[in-house]
Amino acid sequence: MLIIAKLLGKSPFSPLQIHMDKVANCIEELPSLFSAFTQGDRASLETAAKAISKLEHEADLTKNDIRNHLPKSVFLPIARASFLEILSLQDAIADQVEDIATVLTLKPVEKTAPFFNMLNQFVEKNAAVFWLVHQVVKQLNDLVAVSFGGVEAQKVKKTIEDIAYKEHEVDLMQCDFLKQLFHVADDMTHSHFYLWRKIFQEVAALSNLSEKLANRIRMILELK
Amino acid sequence: MELVFLKYLTILVGLYMAWNIGANDVANAMGTSVGSKALTLKKAVILASILEFSGAFFVGNHVSETIQSGIVDPTIFSNDPVIFVIGMMGALFATGLWLQLASYFGMPVSTTHAIVGAILGFGGVIGGIHAVYWLEMGKIVLSWLISPLLSGLISYGIFSIIQRQIFYQPNPIDATKKIAPFFVFACFTILTLSIIFDGLKNLHLQIGFPEALILSTSVGLLSFGGSWAFFRKAPSHQHETFYHNPHHIIGLEKAAKHLQRVKLSSHDETKKKVTSILQEVETLSKKVAENSQFQESHTPFAAVEKIFMLLQILSACLVAFAHGANDVANAIGPVAAVVQVLHTHTVLPHAVVPLWLLLLGGFGIVLGLATWGWRVIETIGKKITELTPTRGFSAEFGAASTILFASKLGIPISTTHSLVGAVLGVGLARGLQAVNLRTLRDIAVSWIVTIPICAFLSIVLFYILQAIYV
Repeated sequence: MLIIAKLLGKSPFSPLQIHMDKVANCIEELPSLFSAFTQGDRASLETAAKAISKLEHEADLTKNDIRNHLPKSVFLPIARASFLEILSLQDAIADQVEDIATVLTLKPVEKTAPFFNMLNQFVEKNAAVFWLVHQVVKQLNDLVAVSFGGVEAQKVKKTIEDIAYKEHEVDLMQCDFLKQLFHVADDMTHSHFYLWRKIFQEVAALSNLSEKLANRIRMILELK
Repeated sequence: MELVFLKYLTILVGLYMAWNIGANDVANAMGTSVGSKALTLKKAVILASILEFSGAFFVGNHVSETIQSGIVDPTIFSNDPVIFVIGMMGALFATGLWLQLASYFGMPVSTTHAIVGAILGFGGVIGGIHAVYWLEMGKIVLSWLISPLLSGLISYGIFSIIQRQIFYQPNPIDATKKIAPFFVFACFTILTLSIIFDGLKNLHLQIGFPEALILSTSVGLLSFGGSWAFFRKAPSHQHETFYHNPHHIIGLEKAAKHLQRVKLSSHDETKKKVTSILQEVETLSKKVAENSQFQESHTPFAAVEKIFMLLQILSACLVAFAHGANDVANAIGPVAAVVQVLHTHTVLPHAVVPLWLLLLGGFGIVLGLATWGWRVIETIGKKITELTPTRGFSAEFGAASTILFASKLGIPISTTHSLVGAVLGVGLARGLQAVNLRTLRDIAVSWIVTIPICAFLSIVLFYILQAIYV
């Protein structure tokens, strides 16, 4: 009798983690993208942006695959809505990376040294927040094995608290940058001002989304 | 002469049904244990054979009696016992036919529903409305609804206990060692109780309920003690396997605390030096803590599952026993009715299941298991790896206790449905990664379809057999 086998559907948690890995692939392209940007190398900037766009598309395909294979009749250990929200938040991060790449290709900027230094640090900090939430998603398997509770959940909760703290640090840094930007704003062309403003805004969205994703995962935990 | 031929044919079809049950349904009991590698295929087949056989032998008579004379009143046919014989044969043949058709169409059909439907059809149409014990029939149908719910409830409860008492504990392995003996106790007590209470009639031993309860509880307590001693020796949470053990973390934290004190009370050169040392210690302590956490995340739960492998073997045995006890009746209940009438040439109001038929039924199941069932076990084992030992144990325990309870009451229920209910129970307790609820619709549809079709088939076959032999 194969009924029991049919009753146990295909687990969507491994595909979710695969999707997160694809999102991570996009993030991994950020350093080469920004080094091309700061060096003013237009050609490699375009290639990096194209590579990111391709990776983002791959992540999209995985996302659609997961959604298509998750009919209403599948019962999950977490609410379906939670699962789908986690998936779309993951995907939003990939989209964000693509947006960043697009903004960087809009127009070459003058070598404004303090901003360049700050920008690299800023990107690193945002990526660090992402890698933490990536680690959380990677732990989902262990969480499923213990029904989202116990020591395992406490550990994940701690990581999520770290994420919130790091995101706060990013916010402080962004505030610092904005002050500097407005300080020199009068000497800049309007388009450059807008571009710098936009670049930092888009990069900061990475950590915001990561924190959102982490908090969404926190909601499925069974914490005492 | 011809009726004698029919008798042997009936026995043969009964044997075929038993074979079918052994070939297809035993996999439900043993599949998970083979899948989780708790048992090798060979060991699983041997264990299942022993337990299916003893289930059929010790407890099989209750349900068989119900099938034989609890659905249709045999005394209605006392004027013409041959009609009853032919009707029962027709029902048996119809069930066999329908099972073949259903497996051809890939429908998840329950043998129990088929045989009850077939007997109901023959009794209701040939014997008339009054030939059917409607109250009894109502009880059976009600039990079909209740049994998956009950087994689901028990499994939900057992898995919730495992979650709260083991998974959510700071040290899951030590918690398992404390909890596991209670589960062993429950398994052994239930198994012993169902064998010795009212089960040793076949060996001419009558044991009343109080005595049986005392006896089985003592067996349970013995197994509790044995398993407690056994699990105590199992490897504990091994700190040595970690890269860094917790004592390192505590030691470093203490060092940092003392350095902090020195830093606050010192000046100049000392203060500078202490500050730098303190920083170093703090970073080291953080690193060590991170490393040990990472190491910790996998080991304990794998060890818990490993302990539960042993428990899962027990629960699988319980399911095999319960399955033998309940499902052997589907094959030999009608055969018993036919054989009895042909031997005594009268219809008795109270059924007696001959011992040799129970043996034959048990043998048929074992034969089915040995010739075909092992293959199904292997397939199932590969497919349901999500049912890890903790999940498997919960589901099997819930299903087995429900089936045994029903068997003792003489109610024919579907073992597969009970198991499906149990798996759903574990799923509801957030135990499974994905449960395909669409399967439930298939089950419900084939459930509803089976009864009228089998009733119809059995009537048709009755008229055919009647035309030939009467």
